[in-house]
Amino acid sequence: MQSASRTLTALFRGSTRHNSGARASLQQFYSRNFSTSGEEFDSHSDFKPVHKPDQDVLSVKEQIDADIKANPVMLYMKGVPGAPQCGFSAMATQILQIHGVPFAARNILEDQELRQAMKTYSNWPTFPQLYINGEFIGGCDILKKLHESGELKEMLKSVPRN
Amino acid sequence: MGVSKKVVEAALQSKLNPTFLSVLDTSGGCGASFMVEIASAAFEGKRLLERHRLVNAALADEMKEIHALSVTKALTPQQWQEQAQTSKTS
Repeated sequence: MQSASRTLTALFRGSTRHNSGARASLQQFYSRNFSTSGEEFDSHSDFKPVHKPDQDVLSVKEQIDADIKANPVMLYMKGVPGAPQCGFSAMATQILQIHGVPFAARNILEDQELRQAMKTYSNWPTFPQLYINGEFIGGCDILKKLHESGELKEMLKSVPRN
Repeated sequence: MGVSKKVVEAALQSKLNPTFLSVLDTSGGCGASFMVEIASAAFEGKRLLERHRLVNAALADEMKEIHALSVTKALTPQQWQEQAQTSKTS
């Protein structure tokens, strides 16, 4: 259900963007969205969360479980790492980049269902939200403090570098 | 929309009984973004994440209206004393 609705939004956006030849673009979107599995065309491929093909049918919660399990450093943010849409998300991205760890990110602005689910899942009202090795670390303020105190460096030691 | 600085202060005051509290409206007056510095005995023996959770919980109702809450300091009264000392001497 979840991924179906996600693709549907993409479809809508796509069809309004290409007003002329709506049918042709619709077909384009069909082939683009349904031929590949779990692809989100808004995120940069470098930061794309790791997917297994059969995860398309997962519920939001299962999706989060899978994301934070598959990605040692997982950031839920506003915007994408290359173009954050909020100062706090930008800072979180920068701090992670300073440490040079690979991380995956999800843009919660593109997915209202995920946005609400994350608040409950983490019991945390705002974004960004950071997970390291499946554990909720906190938001921007906490990340900044951990960075300044040197604790973040320790926590990221176990994360494999590219 | 948004909440006033006074409302945020009152909520934190009543729920966390702080020994120090500073609430700054960083939204330019529209009440959507706040910066908080707080010292409270409630933080004793708690990790940073848990301290922030206490602040978030104290402001649970207000958070619906607040876009951004930045907790720059969440210290125990003793930690507050210590950092006040160091910032004075340095």
